[in-house]
Parts: sequence; C-alpha cells; structure tokens
Amino acid sequence: MSYIYPRVSDSVIIKHQEKIASPEIIQSRYEDLGYICSHSVATAIYLACHLQKPILIEGPPGVGKTELAKVTATYLNAPLIRMQCYEGLDESKALYEWKYGKQLLYTQVLKEQLGDVLRGARGLDESIARLHDFGDIFYSQEFLEPRPLLQALQSQDGAVLLIDEIDKADQEFEAFLLELLSDYQVSIPEIGTVKAVSTPIVMLTSNNTRELGDALKRRCLHLYIPFPDAALESRILATQVEGLDSQLREQIVALIGKLRDMPLKKSPAVSETIDWARALLLLNVEELDSHWVKETLNLLLKFQDDIELVEPEIKALLKSLP
Amino acid sequence: MRFVADFIGALREAGLQVSPAESLDALKAIKLLGLESRETSKTVLALTLVKRQADQVIYEELFDLYFAGVEKAKASNKEAIKTSNKASNKEADKSESESSENALDAKSNSSSSQADMSDGEGMQTSPSSSLGQALGKNKDMSLAITQAAIDEKLSSIVLFTQKNHFAYKIMQRLGDEALSTEIRADANSPEHKSSLEQKNSPEHKRKQRKLIKSRARLLDQVKDYVEQQYGIFAQHKGLKYREEYLQQAKLSQLDRLDYKLMQRLVQRAARKLASQHSRKRLTRKRGQLDVRKTIAANAAFDGALFHTRWKATRIERPKIVAICDVSGSVSRVARFLLLFLYSMQDVMPKVRSFVFASEMIEVTELFKQQGIELALEDIMKRWGGLSTDYGKALAGFQSQALASIDKKTTVIMLGDARNNQGDGRTDIWEKVFRQSKRVLWLNPEQRNSWDSGDSIMSEYSPWCSSVEPCRNLKDIERIFSRLLKYS
Repeated sequence: MSYIYPRVSDSVIIKHQEKIASPEIIQSRYEDLGYICSHSVATAIYLACHLQKPILIEGPPGVGKTELAKVTATYLNAPLIRMQCYEGLDESKALYEWKYGKQLLYTQVLKEQLGDVLRGARGLDESIARLHDFGDIFYSQEFLEPRPLLQALQSQDGAVLLIDEIDKADQEFEAFLLELLSDYQVSIPEIGTVKAVSTPIVMLTSNNTRELGDALKRRCLHLYIPFPDAALESRILATQVEGLDSQLREQIVALIGKLRDMPLKKSPAVSETIDWARALLLLNVEELDSHWVKETLNLLLKFQDDIELVEPEIKALLKSLP
Repeated sequence: MRFVADFIGALREAGLQVSPAESLDALKAIKLLGLESRETSKTVLALTLVKRQADQVIYEELFDLYFAGVEKAKASNKEAIKTSNKASNKEADKSESESSENALDAKSNSSSSQADMSDGEGMQTSPSSSLGQALGKNKDMSLAITQAAIDEKLSSIVLFTQKNHFAYKIMQRLGDEALSTEIRADANSPEHKSSLEQKNSPEHKRKQRKLIKSRARLLDQVKDYVEQQYGIFAQHKGLKYREEYLQQAKLSQLDRLDYKLMQRLVQRAARKLASQHSRKRLTRKRGQLDVRKTIAANAAFDGALFHTRWKATRIERPKIVAICDVSGSVSRVARFLLLFLYSMQDVMPKVRSFVFASEMIEVTELFKQQGIELALEDIMKRWGGLSTDYGKALAGFQSQALASIDKKTTVIMLGDARNNQGDGRTDIWEKVFRQSKRVLWLNPEQRNSWDSGDSIMSEYSPWCSSVEPCRNLKDIERIFSRLLKYS
C-alpha cells in the first residue's frame, strides 16, 4: 500500500556534487564556515555523501559532534532535522503519530454518511460489501503526523538528519533505526513502507554511555573525534574568538592540553576552551596569571573535586607554559 | 584491492569483527579515494572497518605494519623500473666507446627478456639456475617473495616457532634448491661438467662469491618478510588460542599469570550478560497510555473510549544476593569466584555480595570502593584460607540479610559444601529457599566428588532450585545466561 509522491527531486548529495568533490574541498570550505576539522572528519563527510551511508560520530562531550551536523546542513543548504534521543523514546515520538482527534471526528462524519452509503442495500452481505468499497482513510496519510525521522524521509530536497545521543535511547529503538539506516525507508504497519524521497545525510552521535549494538555500527561509518591537538585547537580558537591575542591563545591551548593530561572527572572540552577564551577576552586579560586562572577556573572545570585538584597546581602549570 | 582484502583478513585474525558488508564498504571507499596517500587510506579504512574504540589501537598497529610492507614493495618496484630504464639507455649508448664489461652489465640488467635469453646462452659466467639468474640481474625479488608466500599460505602462521619453517619453504618455492646445488657443485665437485681451469679462473670465483652473497641477501629479505607477516597475522591469533584454552581450563589449574587474561574474559562475559539483562529492565519501565491500542480496542464502541490500554508498567528489578566461600578448601578457585562476584556486582544493578569462611561478611561496599585487584587481595588476606564453618556463616547470613530476601531475590552460593563435620544449619538454607525466588548453588567440584569426605552437598541440595558444577568459565557463562533469562 505504499504511496508515491508526485515529484522526485535531486537529493542534496547530487545537487551539490561540486561541493563534495574531494575531502580537501570539504575541509577548506568548512573552515570558511568557522568549523575547523581534521582531515579524517572531512574524509568521513566525503564518504558519507558518496557511499550514502550514515555516520556514527563518537567522542568525548564538547568536541563538536553536533556542530558538525549543523555545519554540514548549512554547507549543503539542507534543512537540519534534529532528533534528541532519551530513554523511553519510541516510534510515536520519533517516526509518526496518528492525529487521533481528527480520526475521531472523521468517524463521526462517517457515521452521518453511513445512511447514504447503505441506502437501498439488500441484506447484511451487500451492506458490508458496500462498506468495503467505500474508501477507508482512517489510517492514511491524511491523518499522519510526521515526526523527525519521517520528516527527513519526506523532505523533497533531502535533509541532514541528526540523531543526537543515540546511546541515551533504548536498545529497541536502535533496532528500530536499522531499517532506516540501511535502506532509507521505514515501515508503518497501517500504511506500508515509506521510502525516502531523496536520500538524507544521516548523522548519529554517541557519548558512549553504553556500547551500541553491532548491527547499528555495521551500517554506519564510524568516526571518532578526539580532543584536538594543540595546533588544531589554536586554529579553532582563532576562528571562534575574534580579537584574541595570539600569545594568549597559545598559552590557553597549552594550559588546556596540560589539564587534559590530569586525572580529572571531566576534562575540559573544546567548547569549554572557547567559553574560557571568550571570558578572558571580556575581562581584558592580556596574559594568564594565577589570579585570573583561579577566578575563571569554574568555566573550565565542572566538578568541585576537579577544581580542588587543579587549584594548588595552577602556579606550577603556569610556569611550564611557553 | 588484494591488499585490502588481505588486510581485512589480518584484522579478523586480530579479533576485530569485520562483516562482509563492511569489507564491501571499505573497498568502495578505497575505490573513491585510492590507496596513494597513506594518511587518507588509514582514515578511510578506519571509518569503514573499525567500529569500536577499543579496536582502534590494534587497527593502527596492524595498519602501520601492513602498509609499511606494501609501500616498501611499491618503492622497490619503482626502483627496479628506474634501473632497467637506465640500463636500456646505456645499451643505446653502447655503440659509442664503452668498455665491453660495462656493456655486458647493462645488457644483463635490461628488462627485455629476449636480450636476456641470447645473453644468457652466450655467456659462460651466467648462473644456470633460474633463481641465480634472477639474482644476478639484481631483479627485485619482493614481488616473487609475496607470491611464494601466498602459495605457501604464510597467513596461516600461528606460532613464532614456525617462522624459520616458512622462510625455508618460501626459499624452496623461489627455486633455492637449484641455486644451492649450483653453488655447492661449483665449489666441491671437480668432476662437474665445467673443466678445472674454468673453475679456478678468477671470473668464475667472482661469480660464485656473488651468488653466495646474493643468496644470503635474499634469505635475509625472506626472513624480514616472514617476520613482518608474522606480526600481522599471528601475534593476535596466539592470544585468541590462549583465550579459548582458558575458557575451558579448569579453574583450579589456572596459573596466576593467567588471572589478568581471565579477568578480561570474565568481565566480557559479565558485561555481555548484563547488557541483555538491562534491556529487559528498561522495556518495563514505561507506563503510559497506549493511544493507538486504546482506539483500536474501542473501535467497536463507536469511538467512545471505554477501555484504556496501557503500555506495560511492570517494573521488576531482580535482586541478587551472592555468597562466596573463600575458605581453605576452595582456596584454589576462590580468587576466581571472587573475580566473578566482583564483575557481577560491577555490571548488574542491585547485587549484594558476601564472603565467608566461618563468619559471613558483606563486601558490597568494599567492592564498590576498591579496584578489583585491591579488593581481591584484601579479601583473601583477611578472610581467605580459614577453616570453613557453614553453620556459623549461615547463622551470620540469617541475621544480616535474611530479612531483605523476598520473592524477587535470586540467591547464588559459590561453595563446595565442605563443612568440617560441623552442623550445616540447613534449616537456615531452607528459610532462604522458601523466601527467595530462586537459589542457585554453584559447586567448583565435579559431581562425583560431592558428598565425599566432609562434603554435605546433598543436605543443602533439596533447598536449592538448582545445583550445578561450575568448573570453568564456559560453565559460569552458561549458568548466568540462564539466570538472567529468568529475571
């Protein structure tokens, strides 16, 4: 009972061939958009587009996993459809829901028309036969409320579908995604199979709070984004925080690198580095000193234990900076 | 493409689970981006093949090993082409005043086979074995070695002791026998068809020395190659064999050295079980109105909502109480039982752990606070190896934990039921059995030694849902998977 859409248009992937011609192009254009990425990230995007495969992005929080999806959507002029996962998420929130209210109204309307339909029917058999002939739209597209996954499949010009923090969802939901990820289609029991109008680019992110199933991993490219190295982080800061003195920038990056080597509960991520740099800029700090670091440490470290661990070390840390 | 396929084989040997679909993806991706840049191919293969963070290290190690070899082969290929080009250039210049020796050299270096044939026949000094000829021409052998290695199935290498064997076989395949005969014959047998004065001619001696030298060089090359392939294919295979062996080995016969590996295995097993387990728990957490089912159920009532249908609301969190004997009689397996106890508490919710020799001691907190090594050490030092008193221990258990045992609780006992002729207090065990959902007794001794000597297994067994021998890791895995299926 699958239904066909009137127009099948080019997907974003085909439309923007020249934009995804090589990983190098992607890398440099993303940079123009303010997202500095490593070569492997660019390669992943390139492969995702050309092999039409979903990417599973893993990595510590705050290294720009979600940001990558946003930038990709901007870059390809495609709508970003985002679905945040959580425990208990099921298909009625992720895929579709019926418009129950309207369905109930419809049955009321139907009841009133029933007399007209059945007028003149002889016997029960004929009445039922007429009922069957009468179109049944109770479960049909009219009453379908698309949720993010279905929206992504139905969008005419393709889309970037971001399934955020898939590890937070239950295992059954993961299994439910498999059909979507491998064939870009979903089954709705009452209607049939809905195929993608144009292949969306699918990105899944995970913070590794639980191990994902092998079946899911097999269907995806697996991209691990680690904390950036000093050079890359320095470039990220340069683009994200304008007007930051280059020497201060180097100092910030070096200090963050040192902090990440310490046994902290939560290491400062890139997003925290950026926040911190912005704060220092606002405070007109020209050089890192122990006073300012101590004052602003809570921007970098989110646990009191961590702060207590780092505070006595600040002087030593600052001394070792370039 | 062959390289990639072989590489995937190597990855599988190392324990990565690479499915055919993923291999296909990798091949497609490589087709798109090529193998030219090492960095790119490394990223591409990582993206398509390596799906687990833990595998990343193995992957990188293997990739470097493998592609170093590939690149070396490529580079030497190019070199060979270059030299042969040079040689033919020289040949072209031959008409000009070149010394005859130079010209000969150039000719034998030339890649054209026809020239080779005619030269070979004409020259007395050229070696007769084909391998010798090839070596004489400084031909690059790496391709031939690779081919020979494939023919000899080098990728099936498992143990380091096989390295020499494979090196020998590859040499044989390359035609080493003929070459050695030639060297030996030239050196030792004066009645060989070549005449004596020819033997002693300086030219001939030089040729011989050259042959010996190049054979040694070839042998080195083959050995290097085997070494590299061993690194790729075998290192991890050995580990796999060892793990398989450990799974079946009897617990009491394990070496202390194996504990670390064993610990990994146990944790893996426990985690596997726990993930299945937690899934069950999560599905039952929901408690919402199931609108679709409600409407469907009320369709017959004109759309008026008569009956409500709910998504399952039963929340069931099974509780586990695990008791572990650490007394002298089980001392050889106690460490292992504790290891499992620890892993279990680590991965499952709501586990209370106890250990006993004569006193019952709750170690749940101890496990929570300390790492596995420390906790085990601590327990063994404080309570391990003492004499058993099941009666006293069970009395202790009664006062500490009996009240918290209800119909959702599974009680697991790890012990040998050897009670030193004391009163077993089976009445307490009966109470435990009646109050709990299930009682499991895992005995580290085999069935026919139960009830022998001071073992009173049969006194306890009426009050157990099941009594199982638990002698190796496989046993434990089986028992626990069944256990979790129930809960």
